[in-house]
Amino acid sequence: MTEAMPEAMPTPREPTPLGPPTLAPQGLDWAALRPRAGTQTLFRFRPVGDKVLVTNLEGRWLLLTRDDFAAHARGEVPPGSPLHERLATEGFLREGYRVPEAADRLRARRSFLHGGPNLHMFVVTLRCNETCAYCHASRANMDAVHTDMTPETAERAVDLVLQSTSPFVTIEFQGGEPLVNWPVVRHVVEYATAKNRERGKQLELTMVSNFSLLDDERLEWLLAHRVQLCTSIDGPEALHNAQRRLPTGDAHQKTIYWTRRINERYRQLGLDPTLYHVEALCTTTRATLPLWKEVVDTYVGLGCRSLFLRPIDPFGFAERTKRRLEYPRHEYLEYYRRAVDYMLELNAAGVEILERYAAIFLTKILRGQDPNFLDLRSPAGAGIGALAYDHDGSIYTCDEGRMLAAMGDPVFRLGHVDTARYRDIVGHPTVRALAIATNLDAQPDCTSCTYQPYCGTNAAFNYKTQGSIFGRMRDNAVCAVHKGIQDYLFEKLAEGDPKVLETFERWTTVRPREHFIQAQEAP
Amino acid sequence: MSTPLAEIPQGLVEVDLHEATAIVQVDDSLYPLPAIYGAAYVLIDRCFVLLDRPAPGRVRITLASKDPAPDPEALRALVGELANELLACAFRHQLAQDNRVLVETVTMQAMAGAMGPPSLADLADFDFTDEALDDPLGIAQSWEEKHGRTLSRPGAPEGEP
Repeated sequence: MTEAMPEAMPTPREPTPLGPPTLAPQGLDWAALRPRAGTQTLFRFRPVGDKVLVTNLEGRWLLLTRDDFAAHARGEVPPGSPLHERLATEGFLREGYRVPEAADRLRARRSFLHGGPNLHMFVVTLRCNETCAYCHASRANMDAVHTDMTPETAERAVDLVLQSTSPFVTIEFQGGEPLVNWPVVRHVVEYATAKNRERGKQLELTMVSNFSLLDDERLEWLLAHRVQLCTSIDGPEALHNAQRRLPTGDAHQKTIYWTRRINERYRQLGLDPTLYHVEALCTTTRATLPLWKEVVDTYVGLGCRSLFLRPIDPFGFAERTKRRLEYPRHEYLEYYRRAVDYMLELNAAGVEILERYAAIFLTKILRGQDPNFLDLRSPAGAGIGALAYDHDGSIYTCDEGRMLAAMGDPVFRLGHVDTARYRDIVGHPTVRALAIATNLDAQPDCTSCTYQPYCGTNAAFNYKTQGSIFGRMRDNAVCAVHKGIQDYLFEKLAEGDPKVLETFERWTTVRPREHFIQAQEAP
Repeated sequence: MSTPLAEIPQGLVEVDLHEATAIVQVDDSLYPLPAIYGAAYVLIDRCFVLLDRPAPGRVRITLASKDPAPDPEALRALVGELANELLACAFRHQLAQDNRVLVETVTMQAMAGAMGPPSLADLADFDFTDEALDDPLGIAQSWEEKHGRTLSRPGAPEGEP
């Protein structure tokens, strides 16, 4: 047993020794440690460096020395001592435990629960002019015009989006390459903004594009209609062009050109460049792993303020190319540590660049808030926080569900825009099953994991890799990544370097991008 | 010819390379039936799976690989995955029972938050003849309807209408 949950344990007559943990802090004799329930509230623990991290039900945490942890586990912390004060203040002792305050904290962490679907992904076409080695979307050739979403289908999808119970909705254009079906992108923007004048939601529009089909006219139209622009940059030119191929061989050059141009236009429009810039993500393949510094330098050189170091997923073409692209997750974590260490050095030198995974976890850890990243919440956002609308009008719980359907397994399909009613879609038995399956309070390993208050699981990934929507966390690649990143972050918090702590604090600052919110009232 | 797997106690697992099958026997007091179903089901994309009960208290899971000529490592991996999935399903079954109220409450809040209140169109289509609205046990009846007694007039002697 590596985790203690005193509330679940009766006071033992013969205290049970704790089993050996995998990462024992030096000098702590785990075998001899005899926990005694009674004084503590529920806590979970995990060795982090030479400290022991403890977290409680509502996600508050402390890093204790091994002696302090042993005293706490034994229930032998003297009242009035500084340790007793720390434990009491953070809600680790039964005596003086303030239930209403704990309930407020828990409510803040689960604020997304009542929210309803706010992210709506529109696959406006499967056609794409780039060929990516790992394409998760199962792209189609440029002559496959039958994979374009029609304006009528797009309108039905927008009608469903605006029925969401969420007062905030984002329509995200995906593909394929969404610029290939430019007329429908324009139509959705105009139709959604017009329709929303009746609904009055906070509507945002986002496009994920490789930018190669942009031109000045399209860019100005997108800027005028406040469509946020996102892209993929896989690092330095040679790597990017090897993984994301354009027939002209200049995918990187085109993405870089337009990223710079868009950022420049934001500045010209008087928008704060620290807040308004192209958001980019990096898909990590085996070839990326040794290039952690080059990846960071590429992003910094472009003036990007954030970098999302995403591991590769097992969907779409990545399934076929995994022998060449995949890697053990411990190698990814080594890459992640090196890259983020370097980013922290840059921040200490005055360069602002954040890692998105870290920012999501740190917002939960340091601020007690949930930034509503759909795969890092419990339950996950499939169906209850997001919906994906395929080019043919099929509706899925999530983008991964749509990707699985493209691979021949439509298990995450909820209905079709022509026939579905909003409540039937979000109340679908599949959505309910996913909400149960991704609730970490019923997931082996997660129930006793120290990181449970900050974590989440992805049912589609579990289904694809382990055969069930529940998955098995002990040999689950997403779990390994989540645990590894949180280990790294808590190690940094334990080290307590003031510059690192200052950077972490800045990474948790959530500033709304109000410029991208569409007008809610009739002009 | 069936042979046991070296790492597993004798009699629990046998593999037959010639027939491309593995047979796993489990004690049903250790693994609840829903866990056995859940674990066996995970393998149906790779195997034909049959469950039977060779003896009281024992469940036998026969895995016939869809690959007609699997190597020993592949069969061993199937058995290993079944064993791990059995434990995961049994543990999850227990956790689901322990935390049922919590999980149901969270799920209900999430679903209600996403669905919102029914619209008039939803109500117009509602099937009021649904069986759930039938009252086979007479729970919705008043005492008088159920037991044939009538209400007394105010001031009348007990039992007189």
